[in-house]
Amino acid sequence: MTATVSAPNPPAASADPGRPAPPPRHRGLRGLLFRWEAKSAPYVYIAPFFLVFAAFGLFPLLYTAWVSLFEFRLNSEMTWVGLDNFVWLFTNEAFYNALFKTITIGILSTVPQLMLALGLAHLLNYNMRGRTLFRVSMIMPYATSVAASTLVFAQLFGRDGGFANWTLSLVGLDAIDWRNGDISAQIAIAVIVTWRWTGYNALIYLAGMQSIPQDRYEAAQIDGANRWQQFVHITLPGLRPTILFTIVVSTIGATQLFGEPLLFGGGTPNGGAVNQYQTLGLFMYQQGWEFGSLGRAAAVAWVTFLLIVVLVLINALIMRLRTRERLSDGGSE
Amino acid sequence: MSTVAATGVVVPDAAARSAASRGALYPAPARRRRRGRGNHDAGWGTYVMLLVTAALFIAPFYYMIVAASRPMSEMVQSPPPLTPGPYLWDNITTALEQQNIAKAIANSFLVSGVVTVATLLLCTLAGFAFAKLRFKGKKFLFTLTLGTMMIPTTLGVVPLYMVMAEFNLTGNLLSVILPTLVTAFGVFFMRQYLIQSLPDELIEAARVDGATSLRTFWSIVLPIARPGMAVLGMLTFMTAWNDFFWPVITLNSSNPTVQVALNNLGSGYVPDTAIIMAGTLVGTVPVIIVFLLFGRQIVGGIIAGAVKG
Amino acid sequence: MFTARRSAGATAVIMAGALTLTACSGSSEASDPTTGANGETVLTVSLFGTFGLDEAGLFDQYEAENEGITIQYESTQGEDKYWPALQTKLNSGSGTADIQGIEVARIADVVTNQADLWTDLSQTVAADRVGDYVDWKADAATTTDGKVLGLGTDIGPMGLCYRTDLYDAAGLPSDPEELKQRLGSWDDVIALAEEYKANAPEGSAFFDSAGGLYNAIVSTESEIYYNAAGELVVENNAAVKDAFMKSAAAGQSGLTAKLEQFKDPSWDAGFGSGTFATIACPSWMIGYIKGKAGDAGSGQWNITELPGGQGGNWGGAYLGIPEASKNKEEAAKLIAWLTDAEQQAKVFEVGGNFPSNTEAFDDVADSTDEYFNDAPTGEIFSASAQSAPTQILGVGDGVAKNALTQALLSVEVNGVSPEDAWANGISKITNQLG
Repeated sequence: MTATVSAPNPPAASADPGRPAPPPRHRGLRGLLFRWEAKSAPYVYIAPFFLVFAAFGLFPLLYTAWVSLFEFRLNSEMTWVGLDNFVWLFTNEAFYNALFKTITIGILSTVPQLMLALGLAHLLNYNMRGRTLFRVSMIMPYATSVAASTLVFAQLFGRDGGFANWTLSLVGLDAIDWRNGDISAQIAIAVIVTWRWTGYNALIYLAGMQSIPQDRYEAAQIDGANRWQQFVHITLPGLRPTILFTIVVSTIGATQLFGEPLLFGGGTPNGGAVNQYQTLGLFMYQQGWEFGSLGRAAAVAWVTFLLIVVLVLINALIMRLRTRERLSDGGSE
Repeated sequence: MSTVAATGVVVPDAAARSAASRGALYPAPARRRRRGRGNHDAGWGTYVMLLVTAALFIAPFYYMIVAASRPMSEMVQSPPPLTPGPYLWDNITTALEQQNIAKAIANSFLVSGVVTVATLLLCTLAGFAFAKLRFKGKKFLFTLTLGTMMIPTTLGVVPLYMVMAEFNLTGNLLSVILPTLVTAFGVFFMRQYLIQSLPDELIEAARVDGATSLRTFWSIVLPIARPGMAVLGMLTFMTAWNDFFWPVITLNSSNPTVQVALNNLGSGYVPDTAIIMAGTLVGTVPVIIVFLLFGRQIVGGIIAGAVKG
Repeated sequence: MFTARRSAGATAVIMAGALTLTACSGSSEASDPTTGANGETVLTVSLFGTFGLDEAGLFDQYEAENEGITIQYESTQGEDKYWPALQTKLNSGSGTADIQGIEVARIADVVTNQADLWTDLSQTVAADRVGDYVDWKADAATTTDGKVLGLGTDIGPMGLCYRTDLYDAAGLPSDPEELKQRLGSWDDVIALAEEYKANAPEGSAFFDSAGGLYNAIVSTESEIYYNAAGELVVENNAAVKDAFMKSAAAGQSGLTAKLEQFKDPSWDAGFGSGTFATIACPSWMIGYIKGKAGDAGSGQWNITELPGGQGGNWGGAYLGIPEASKNKEEAAKLIAWLTDAEQQAKVFEVGGNFPSNTEAFDDVADSTDEYFNDAPTGEIFSASAQSAPTQILGVGDGVAKNALTQALLSVEVNGVSPEDAWANGISKITNQLG
């Protein structure tokens, strides 16, 4: 999986990472120490992450796996049920509904979100007045508390007197019962997700854009490339690792989507009267915290985990295929 | 002046060499700045688009001020009011009486600050190792790191609380700080950033010149990583500030973070949204002020960091 | 200019300092919380946002009257956030407060599954209190072997709240006495709703939601989702199905405003804007209406009994002491005092939470509410509380109620037929609880 995730180095870093390292100049004890440092340092650098994970992440993970084999309510007796929770899950219509809704809402929110973020980052990368102010404003949706956003979007998509319906009425359209419709509720949630995370991703892209050497743009300009062509042929390829990062993170985020639909439903995990916007995250939350069936919720958690692994692999595979295509085209960028 | 030289590195050989090898591939960064960005001045269309976006992003925050300054009943009228009312100060006073928000803000600054600094340092180190260093088991360990990101967290609170109870840390700010000191998200982010922005030959040159990897990290990687770190820092700080699900369970209102204090506001059969909004405002504004005050340093660092180091 | 080296070094120092700082402040925090600095007893009280005890000044009063007692009080806004946190803490055996609130829908779970995690109040100083509450309230908190795990705070006796101005506009009687005469049964209420629909102001329906109507009807039943033996019986409970079908029909024929209670922002707005004229009214709904309709709504509303003078109950809560508490005796004293008639009457005055202590009924009987055209709220709710049947509460009540309420909403807004909706709701319930 790693191999698929590690994107090729950007063209500028043309050195072959696979070539053997030249021998260090030091000899004797110092040289030994030097080599020892070079060998052990990487492990020391990554150790903090694994230590923290071992202390606070590993036990919850194993506990969740263990619990998924039980009928388990907090503070009640645990009953061993083997794989019954998984059987229950895979024969449950509500699960497939949640799976389907997760995918549709995920596509509706992730694709526009990342494209908008890329465009925004491109604009923010220009020389301009008030740049800092604009950039700080990007983080505002993420800084605004969930409670405050709830209030605003509940109002925005309200059936009676909401702004969205008011706007529709201006162009002569009928009011929509946003939260109770199927597609309409999914669109509304996608809007909330997009609003909340676009600036977040834009900042990430912006940081990536800063590391693309300016002379490539200059060269392109000399060749007569317009801004759009520069964006497509220099910015996008230069950003590959960052784009890959946002795609992976957004895919994970979309699969675990939970806060926004919960907020949209007024704090309940039903996801609407006919579960029209119940995501896997809500489904799991409902099993665990509304119904108290932690064993079943744990089963959902593990299936979600596997689903994410598969999705991330597919993502990475697509990226890899596209890279091959590009290379076989002559790799002209 | 090259990036490396500007950091006052103590390995002159490496600096000179890498600057030379860099020069062949890139123009010197200083030149980049003088000539470069000037070619891309924003047109009026860019300003319009950015202004509209910024307005959309800030609007809910403005609406929070409106909701915090009017009685709850006015906010449910249709159409709702769009201008602030006269009760902002009253509502804020009530909120401050109900919860110790000053202490909560201090706690939140402590928690978010520690988490941010630790994340920046530790994630950049680990990201550097995964991006540019060679070691056995790298692929496997990186896959494992990525894998931990994919674990849904909503259920983890039950066992996590058991762990914290075991360490006698429940109710303690450390129970919120420790699990987020270094995140897979941050490691992955810094790895991708460094793959993209850190040329291999800089690392090789430093190595040839006998710099230890820690020295390489300090004097070559950190300066180049700064734009990425600036963004990661901002996002981490906000995430820690707004973290909710776990702190509400482990902390209590005698030693709360902002989100825990807000969760206890406006009780009664009718949660008073005006009081809640007023409290939320008081709990959010300090962060915004910090970002505005240091915005040039934090966000501005995105550009400056790449040049000056 | 900061060099990278210096700034990174500085951050490391700051970090180490901050960690030490949190560790220190943490350890002082973690020092024995049961006794304060001057040797006084510290009682922690953790509730969710519907008790009104602090609002009525009871904690301050108790501290003033009992030297050496300090009360640390916290209240989470939503019960849906409060309960998972409490369950997590109970599960690990640490972090619970001396006194915890329990919502009525959770009490069956506490009594059935968690008896060993809570203190038997009949073995404490609060024992004398146990007989003071309405029978069903105390029964529901008592295990089969006689342990009492919670003392009642409030209950939710029922009435019907309605908009006098809208009734007048539609030509309906708006005097509560006159209404009382007309409404002998739920069918009479439906008939009145039809009449309202014929002449109603534009954009206004009679009921707020089918779910609200349904919950009002079943609130008058004794056996709802479970029978006395603790078996799930909803599928074959004719009374429940009848209430469901009645409500579904009302929803289908446009007698409701199709607004999900407590969740749809337009429902909140409806109290002021008049998208609905009638709402089933547990005593605590009074406060909700005042909050949402605001000063402008004063004098627009009135309240009458449920049809035929039936009694019913919707909601309410308990106070209990987790077994892990180190101050059980003092906590029991505080609970006994808080749920005493005098204190419950005070809470009713301030927040409208109706007493569960029968001795308090007399204290509140004369209460009227100016906002509701001086309606005799004390009299109406006392009568409802006294004639309410002994409700059988089951472990899965919350799940069942939610499933059927959602099913009714699907009839209103998603065009699902009542029969399908009932089948869906029941299959959800059996899938989860069966």
